[in-house]
Amino acid sequence: MKSNFTRFLTLLLAFVVQMTFAQNQRVTGTVTDEDGLPLPGVNIIIKGTSTGVQTDFDGNYSIESKQGDVLVFSFVGLQRAEYPVGPVNVVNVVMKADASQLDEVVVTAVGISRSEKELGYNVQTVDAEQIATKPNSDIVNSLAGQTSGVQIVSSSGEAGASTFMTIRGSASITGNNQPLFVINGLPIISGGGSSGTGGVNTSSRSIDINPDDIATISVLKGGAATALYGVRAANGAVIITTKSGKNLTERRIEFTSSLAIDQVSQLPARQKTFAQGNNGAWASGNSFSFGPRISDLEYDGDTSYKWDPFGRLVPKGTGNGMPAQYYDPYDFFQTGVTNTNQFNISNGTDQGNYFFSLSNVEQQGIIPNNTYGRTTVRLNASTKISEKMTFGADLAYTNSRAIQIQKGSNVSGIMLGLLRTAASFDNSAGYEFADGSQRNYRNGGGYDNPYWVANNIAFDEDVNRFTGSINFVADLSELFNITYNGGMDWYNRRYVDQFKIGSRALPTGYLGEYQAYSGIINSDLILNFNKDFSDNFNVKLSLGNNLYSSFTKTLFGDATGLEIPDFYQLNNTSNNTTSSGESSFRTAAFFGDLRLSFYNMLYLGFTGRNDWSTTMPEDNQSAFYPSASIGFVFTEIEGLKNNNILSYGKLRASGARTANIATPYNTSNYYSAAGTADGWTTGVNFPYQGETGFQVSPGLGNPDLKHESQESWEVGADLRFFQNRLGLDFTYFKNVNTDLLLDVPIASSSGFSSVYLNAASMESKGIELSMNASIIRSKNFNWDVNGNFTKFTNIVTSLAEGVDNVFLGGFTVPQVRAVVGSEYRSIYGFDWYRDESGNVLINDDPTDSFRDGYPMADERSMVEIGNFNPDWTANITNTLSYKNASLSFLFDIKKGGQMYNGTAFAMNYFGVSKRTENREVTYTPEGTIDFDNTPAQNIVVMDGVYGRVDADGNPVSSGVTNVTPVVQDQAWFQGQGSNFGGGPSVAAMEAADWVRLRDVTLSYDFVNIVEGLDNLQVYFSGKNLWLDTPYSGIDPETNLGGATNAQGMDYFNSPGTKTYVMGVKLKF
Amino acid sequence: MKNYKFLNTKYLVVVFSLLLISLSSCDAEWIDSDLNIDPDSPSNVPMSLLLPAIQQSMGYNLLGNNSVRTNNIWTQHFDGVSRQSYTEARYQLTAADVNNLWGSIYTEMFMNLQIIIDKAGIEGSESDNFKGVAQVLQATTLGITTDLFGDVPFSNAFKGSQNILRPEYDTQEQVYDTIFNILDNAIVNLNSTQNVFAIDGDVIYGGSKSKWLKAAHSVKARHYLQLSNVLGNEAYTKALAEVAAGFASNSDDYAVPFEDSNRNPIFQFMEQRGDIRMGATFVDILVADSDPRTEFYVAEDANGEYVGSVPGSQNESASAPGPYVADPTSSVYLMTYSELKFIEAEANFRLGNTALAQTAYEKAVAASVLRVTGDANTEWLEDNIIGIPVSLESILMQKYIDGFGTNQPYADFRRTGLPALELAQGAVLNQIPTRFPYAQSEKDYNAANVPNAQLTDKLWWDQ
Repeated sequence: MKSNFTRFLTLLLAFVVQMTFAQNQRVTGTVTDEDGLPLPGVNIIIKGTSTGVQTDFDGNYSIESKQGDVLVFSFVGLQRAEYPVGPVNVVNVVMKADASQLDEVVVTAVGISRSEKELGYNVQTVDAEQIATKPNSDIVNSLAGQTSGVQIVSSSGEAGASTFMTIRGSASITGNNQPLFVINGLPIISGGGSSGTGGVNTSSRSIDINPDDIATISVLKGGAATALYGVRAANGAVIITTKSGKNLTERRIEFTSSLAIDQVSQLPARQKTFAQGNNGAWASGNSFSFGPRISDLEYDGDTSYKWDPFGRLVPKGTGNGMPAQYYDPYDFFQTGVTNTNQFNISNGTDQGNYFFSLSNVEQQGIIPNNTYGRTTVRLNASTKISEKMTFGADLAYTNSRAIQIQKGSNVSGIMLGLLRTAASFDNSAGYEFADGSQRNYRNGGGYDNPYWVANNIAFDEDVNRFTGSINFVADLSELFNITYNGGMDWYNRRYVDQFKIGSRALPTGYLGEYQAYSGIINSDLILNFNKDFSDNFNVKLSLGNNLYSSFTKTLFGDATGLEIPDFYQLNNTSNNTTSSGESSFRTAAFFGDLRLSFYNMLYLGFTGRNDWSTTMPEDNQSAFYPSASIGFVFTEIEGLKNNNILSYGKLRASGARTANIATPYNTSNYYSAAGTADGWTTGVNFPYQGETGFQVSPGLGNPDLKHESQESWEVGADLRFFQNRLGLDFTYFKNVNTDLLLDVPIASSSGFSSVYLNAASMESKGIELSMNASIIRSKNFNWDVNGNFTKFTNIVTSLAEGVDNVFLGGFTVPQVRAVVGSEYRSIYGFDWYRDESGNVLINDDPTDSFRDGYPMADERSMVEIGNFNPDWTANITNTLSYKNASLSFLFDIKKGGQMYNGTAFAMNYFGVSKRTENREVTYTPEGTIDFDNTPAQNIVVMDGVYGRVDADGNPVSSGVTNVTPVVQDQAWFQGQGSNFGGGPSVAAMEAADWVRLRDVTLSYDFVNIVEGLDNLQVYFSGKNLWLDTPYSGIDPETNLGGATNAQGMDYFNSPGTKTYVMGVKLKF
Repeated sequence: MKNYKFLNTKYLVVVFSLLLISLSSCDAEWIDSDLNIDPDSPSNVPMSLLLPAIQQSMGYNLLGNNSVRTNNIWTQHFDGVSRQSYTEARYQLTAADVNNLWGSIYTEMFMNLQIIIDKAGIEGSESDNFKGVAQVLQATTLGITTDLFGDVPFSNAFKGSQNILRPEYDTQEQVYDTIFNILDNAIVNLNSTQNVFAIDGDVIYGGSKSKWLKAAHSVKARHYLQLSNVLGNEAYTKALAEVAAGFASNSDDYAVPFEDSNRNPIFQFMEQRGDIRMGATFVDILVADSDPRTEFYVAEDANGEYVGSVPGSQNESASAPGPYVADPTSSVYLMTYSELKFIEAEANFRLGNTALAQTAYEKAVAASVLRVTGDANTEWLEDNIIGIPVSLESILMQKYIDGFGTNQPYADFRRTGLPALELAQGAVLNQIPTRFPYAQSEKDYNAANVPNAQLTDKLWWDQ
């Protein structure tokens, strides 16, 4: 080794001496492809140095060099070209397609870089350009529609709302199903976000990442790709590499600024005809809009009536002549504004490099006072501390801050109060009286006025997060190197949850103060070996050690019954409680990764990892996870090589076993602080009567836990045609998850409500297709298309013995469940009584309590009434560029899958939904419909066959199609036409297919218009500007519980948005 | 080019090797399994911390919104005027609706009571009085539970930690034997002097074993009377035998308190949901009698009047529940002295001891009026109760008025059909339900054992 080093020094010295005497000259030229089209972005480096430049948009370059230098031209997908610098100052270069040496380097598990060619599994990468112009605070939203196999649901359009991401379906019944996020080799905390049906929508912690820092994202989908992550591998991984100063030759400064405008997307249609009231009569403060026609009413002008500035509503002709009117409650929503500013500076030399960035986002949502803000700083730098050793660090700080507003199934929820508001009531005409009491359409009762909520209730969240890692690379010899990456992701999360006195949810006022810190520590030490044993045989081996620790500690205090109004302090009450919590676990692992390549054609990969985890029983802490993969580039075979049609072809196959561990503290039974609630009220707790109370925890622990196991299989093909102008990638995958751990629900008569068991199994299998095509490639005009298609099923194959379903979330009825034999996440609720062929029974028994001519809810047991999972999803991105202008648009398609539109179902009960408009009916004295005097459009015949329910509660069908005309009147909407009247949830299930223009971006680059400004880009982009869906509620990309396994529920969810963005990007 | 004179590759190899060795060697300590002991949750707690939690849950759930609110709608003390309460007013109650009630009975009450009973018997810390208290609570809970559900799991129940996850059901006849056995045993234990741990944490009787003894006898009397259709006169004689040792005054009432920081369940329901009003049947009776309890039972409506909602009529402008049942700090009553006196009155009346019945009846109503109003109201009693010849109807009518806010009127109504009640408007059944459905969690996870039951099925003692 010493001799090597000496030899190198000698060489270096010679080089330096030569440099001193060489004459500098400027070489210029144009780089084109085989079709003669200019190639922008080609890297040109003087061989043996890191000095280099890139071609501009017209393929032109200019570089300072000397005679004798060798210029190296490189570009992804094209053959490398080398040209010595001679006396001529112009070097024009034609670069050839490189089918055989397609050498895109991707970052795989544990930070190991591999050329894509040698992988035996599918990895998709997303580059900075694909996310740069998207107006999403949370990077996960920007991944939507970019790859195959990935499902992303943004829970709402609120500023700072949570996101839910899964890769190739779900692997766990009740545990985490979201992928592992890794930034520059350090696993980070990413999930989280609200999971209740009420409360507020809090952020997922992936929101703390500054999207502008990102250079590339690798999405690792299958088990073989993630197997090296061992116990953290089961849900796939999102491997983020941030920008750095590597490969730069001069200082670069980038400044980006954008302004985004948010508007509320689609909203449920409301009836505008009928006033507040019941049974056709106006009634002050009444819950319903089953009053008279608004057009038949006027105000009485009584100023002493405090609930309306114009007085009570009275029949026309009996008041002051001022006509009643419909008030649109949707005026509540405002235009949201987001300001984003980002600055970075980077540079690199052969001694090291740095990247430093600063960013700030300030977002004002469409709901008044709903805000999100984020400030980030990142320094990513490395330096050579010896010829063979590099030391680097990546340090990032984020402050995320949000003010969230109450949502969902919650009497203070924004949409609940807003949508139920009577058609003739104006929420905006004041929300608070001088004495501080609330003005709402229920005369102070019922539900909060949304204006009152937005101004008087706030969930103010503040996260300070520090993520830092250090890394070393030491080249021990030509064959060996050692890498080390160790770091910590740590954040402090605080929130203050304030309810002014007088809300419906917490009438006596409320203050919650929460403080927590959470973090992980990760250490990866890897020894790498790489040797070409011959030109045709290469061996790469990595052996490593991983240590991982996760911890969180919370402190919470709350107070109800505030004494001094508007004073939010825990002492401002006689009723406060405190609690604290702590959870931690650690794992340790050894792992190895062996890659063998033969003739640049056949690649074999093997990995193995053994994990030990503290959450498992002491004598069962250890588990081993292997994987094997094969990649076969068959176009390397003589005879298939250099084919003009099929330029490149690879077949791949892999198999792996990965796993998941138990969550902490499940190996034994504990007692917990006592308290109880009944499903209706907030309940009671301790201290109580001066006593402290404990009760045995209702979850039974289990000292015999095993690791969960996931076996995953994948085969695929990567085919590229016509010099890579068309690429197709196909993958078939199958994941078999067994021994899944969950709190298995048990009959509470056992004294416990659940037991933690390795009980369930689940299977996910499907196909992924990706294509990319350069449809037009010419000097000035290019048209590229990228598309992805995903179709898979995710079936629960078994649950615990005697358990055929597990509650995942939702309500008493309906609920989201895991059910054996069904797609994971089935929605269960009541159906109509039906005959054996599935026809709805329409009651024909005049003696029973059901109305004749209407269907009947079957409440004997809940059945599957729908499923959120789509049949398939697809996305297609078109990019058109003409000279310096570029237009890109992304259509996102979801086919199949249903949502529970509980919002619409409940709106029926209150008489505010559009479908309650045709409600009027006139009856004859005999009680039949008076067809002459009832509007024809109000008369309907319900679909079904005649039938009844017999004395034993069993349905009896006559088989005769129903022809009885009926009217969907108040009695119907307050009966089986709504959830509150006992209507079955199946009536609220709606298709949630969509085709949406998820993103559209128009940009123009001004190149070198001013001295010193290399590039000025101006762009306009939009998100969700067009949405086509049969769903009648808000944008169906929503979920009541936020980032939770229970997807598919809409119950007064806050609406989605469409966004318009204008931005500039300056590069110096 | 720099000269890296102090950093030779050799040293780096040494440094890295040391790092590798040190990391690997600490692995065993790094994954110490003691880290998997929950720092927030104890694995053992004293009986005195379990007792108040059980009592709180009994007050909040056994006499709360999933039991009393529903069956007092059916007995027309209340009316459900909106949303789910309106559904219940029309006699729809699904298995899912009773999950919370069933779960709290088994996991919060029975399970923790069994832990106390077991702990109180551990050699070296035998605490018989404490065990007796737990047994009285256990029998009280079991009695109310079986009167709602009939056959229930008990002899094999709450043994999840012994891996019995799907307990069999005991017939109601067996359950009734169990209730009496437990109470007999409780009486023995409450008289024992072997007490390592005193009765601490008792929010019902403050550890008074004499009051617990009275409660044991009173609960026995309640359930003997409940067997009137099964045992005939034996039910009355057995009930009377317990009365003497039972509650002696209102100060013996078996009640769970609430406080400003832990508020009464019906109060919380009215505050957070508000979907019930007073029932017209009940309000009309009170108003017709100018009953002094009216203003305590019934809140004034917007016009300052006491108006009930006709069952099933959705009259939201009717009176809300009054402060006796719906103040933040209103206690709930597991059993009262007045109920015991009504038991005494009915048993004597049925046995033909009319004079004794008369006396007990008058004492019962007087105790009820005093408990509810805080005032003896002697004048009203003299005008309406004292000396007016007692009948079965008047006993059960006054017991119906007295029992507002408890499960007892519903049990008595099914047993005696008194007072007579009409069907609610829009009823989906042709009779008032005669039982609660089994919980969905039992149907889902104990399907092999849970009996099939319709809301109109009659319980064993209701044949």
